[in-house]
Amino acid sequence: MELTGITSYIIISLILFLAGLLTVVSKKSIIGIFLGIELILNSAALNFAAFSRLTARNLEGQMVSMFVIVLAAAEAAIALALLLAIYKRYRDINADNLTTLKW
Amino acid sequence: MEIGMRDIVFLCVALLTTIPCLIVVFSRNVLYSAFALFFTFLGTSGLYFFLDAEFLAITQVVVYIGGVSVLLLFAILLTKNVDEIRKTNMISGPRMALAGAAALALLGSFLYALKGARWAMNGNAAYPATTIKGLGDLLLSKYLLPFEIVSILLLAVLVGSLVISRRSVQ
Repeated sequence: MELTGITSYIIISLILFLAGLLTVVSKKSIIGIFLGIELILNSAALNFAAFSRLTARNLEGQMVSMFVIVLAAAEAAIALALLLAIYKRYRDINADNLTTLKW
Repeated sequence: MEIGMRDIVFLCVALLTTIPCLIVVFSRNVLYSAFALFFTFLGTSGLYFFLDAEFLAITQVVVYIGGVSVLLLFAILLTKNVDEIRKTNMISGPRMALAGAAALALLGSFLYALKGARWAMNGNAAYPATTIKGLGDLLLSKYLLPFEIVSILLLAVLVGSLVISRRSVQ
């Protein structure tokens, strides 16, 4: 088995994904949850690039990873703007306390 | 199995990617988590270089490290009282136990599935020597519609984040 083969990349992105899953489920603050979402998106993009290079041997998978990166950046901007709006209104970013849908 | 220089560097980059993940999960300080995420992004960029995806690696550095991480640090600074930052990233114990069990089960099942996995290789197609030209060609031919939709999405995000986070008019 080659060390830089497809299996290593799958295991690395599996670790990234599981760490992201744990973070999303267990953290109490919105910023913590958001860090986990970034980890999950990162692992998906890495997996697409790995399969694109090592099994398909063309650029289509890299294209998908690029779109994933762009969407993650867009999501980050919107999520952090929402975070600031929530903080201004409630003075709190603990996800367990934010149970009101409409003010 | 012969271990070459390339393998050693790959191992270092892989550790640089995966070790900070654990800090992101287990740190009680949200600032430490954010900086650990920074190293994870850097390691992922290195892995892209190992995959001969130079453009993706540079995009990763510019967008994630230059954009998302800095945005994240600003969000932490604007929402948190830095004095009490030690207790800012609390972990919910019961949910952590539940999620840990689920993650272990997932890990086991994935590794089991991976053991006998065989991947469909695309014959002996040659991987292009420079990816940037190929990516540009694909982006303006086959993926033109997604490209334009993403540009509209980015415009909407720009306007939307300004509208959401502006000062409310009295």
